[in-house]
Amino acid sequence: MTTSVPPSSTTLSGPVHAPLGRLLRSELRWVLRRPRTQIALAILALIPVLMGIGIVATDSSGGSGLFTQIAGNGLVLPIAALSISLPLLLPLAVTMAAADALAGESAHGTLRGLLLAPVSRTRLVLIKAVGVLAVAVAAVAAVAVLGIVTGLVLVGPSGTAHGMLTLSGTEVGPGSALLRVSLAAAWTVGQLAAVGAIALAVSSITEHPLVVLAAVLGGLIVFGVLSAIPALDWLQPALLTTGWFAITDVLRDPLPLAGLASSSLRAACYLLIGVVLTLARTATREA
Amino acid sequence: MTAGSVTPTTTIAPCEPDAPAIRVRGLRKVFGATVAVSGVDLDVPAGAVLGVLGPNGSGKTTMIRMLLALSRPTAGTVELLGAAMPAAAGTVLPHVGALVEGPGFHPFLSGRENLRRCAAAEPLLSSREIPDAVQRAVSRVGLTSAAGRRYRAYSLGMKQRLGLAAALLVPRRLVILDEPTNGLDPAGTRDVRTIIAELHAGGATVLVSSHLLTEVEATCTHVAVLDHGSLVAAGPLAALLDGEAPALDVRTPDSAIAMQALREAGIGCSIGPTGVRVDLAGTDPPTVVALLVGAGVAVHEVQRWRTGLDELFAQLTEGNSE
Repeated sequence: MTTSVPPSSTTLSGPVHAPLGRLLRSELRWVLRRPRTQIALAILALIPVLMGIGIVATDSSGGSGLFTQIAGNGLVLPIAALSISLPLLLPLAVTMAAADALAGESAHGTLRGLLLAPVSRTRLVLIKAVGVLAVAVAAVAAVAVLGIVTGLVLVGPSGTAHGMLTLSGTEVGPGSALLRVSLAAAWTVGQLAAVGAIALAVSSITEHPLVVLAAVLGGLIVFGVLSAIPALDWLQPALLTTGWFAITDVLRDPLPLAGLASSSLRAACYLLIGVVLTLARTATREA
Repeated sequence: MTAGSVTPTTTIAPCEPDAPAIRVRGLRKVFGATVAVSGVDLDVPAGAVLGVLGPNGSGKTTMIRMLLALSRPTAGTVELLGAAMPAAAGTVLPHVGALVEGPGFHPFLSGRENLRRCAAAEPLLSSREIPDAVQRAVSRVGLTSAAGRRYRAYSLGMKQRLGLAAALLVPRRLVILDEPTNGLDPAGTRDVRTIIAELHAGGATVLVSSHLLTEVEATCTHVAVLDHGSLVAAGPLAALLDGEAPALDVRTPDSAIAMQALREAGIGCSIGPTGVRVDLAGTDPPTVVALLVGAGVAVHEVQRWRTGLDELFAQLTEGNSE
């Protein structure tokens, strides 16, 4: 084996980095190839399918709410599936990814390898954030796409326009219906990005992935409890989960944007806090 | 380069081309009330193979982690390849290969895929070179046949070999190996020695930590001994082990007869802890034993008496230091 080592007298040039694109590709491969990510995505994809089967099987004549709305109105299914998965299942998938991103890598001793390569700590956070965001996008896409397919195949589009019957009683065409589904999906990704950023911040503090999962999901449950207490009404604007009912706004005609916008703004605040905390903590982390 | 200076520009080049590969001054690390490393000053000349010896918990790993900027010193400065750490980490670490605190890899990926992930982060590897570099590293540590298997299924020794492969993905100027032979079979230990010798021959500086003197003696040019976080000895191996007066401890109930016989033969001796301590200057153990037996002394046991550093090594590295 002949491996030439550069003579030690050569001076070092400035800092060198591995290409960012290569690091991102490597991270995405790692995130999306992980068995637990794939299982989580598969389970999420099953939700709209099960809902569709349930609706067709019960052939709902009674009942109320979103479910009755889906009968004969297939393009509501992806939105209903997203709104059902949003409180726990989607955050679970994203938090799992964030837990593995820093805490999990630290527990496996692989974070050390990245820092020794070296990957600068700022880049590390960037790469990890992209990885978590990728899981959020993949999770939402799984629910939305399977929702659209199941809705169209099992339930069928609504009425003569072959589009969507809104909660307001009007009917919109298939193009507008798909646009509304896309809007709901994009909004959901935004909310999940906020959850992911906070989870990443927790992940940067600990080396136990389970702590991240417990902290973030526990936090979401506490948010739910707090928002149910009337005396704590003043707290509502600060809670991420407060605006999560806004997703059904995409089923109204004309589309009210206020709720979606304010909840997205709130998510952006959480996102910013999460990213800043992660950066600050990662900069001094001992790996 | 002034110690601890943080140069804001992107050129943190060493001022002295012949600077030591590692220069440590006043290094100290405190965890709460525990002092893990204290007052370590160390210079490792470029091209040396330094063995860092010390029992478990003596601060070897803590020191290595500070060298590599994985951990911040409570006090003191570190320079690697002539540049101050951690400020110059981006400049220096691409030239440094390290295996610290055992190998760290993802269990669901194969050995080769794990290495590819490491290689993707290596600044000195172009994307085109990665497959070859991975293949070379895998074959260098003798993992070619197991490279396709999941890391989950690796034995301890194979994991250690993979960790070594990751440190050797790129030709390095400095290689830091923290207990590289942990979990390795004798063949693996031999392989590690061969790799260290190759690195040394290629001009790289190597720092290898161990709690075994024998392991260090065979491969190192320099030695540093840590005990309770302090450097108790450091320097070229030959210089440290030289200059020791050799002596022999003879366990015998017949001390008086033995002393008399030895004195008559002109061999220096004194009453030792278990019998007689014989000065080996101008003689050798077989002569001494033959003489004693010829004089009718009941020789129960003969042992080389370890002095100074040799004894210190033995105490520290053979687990009877308490």
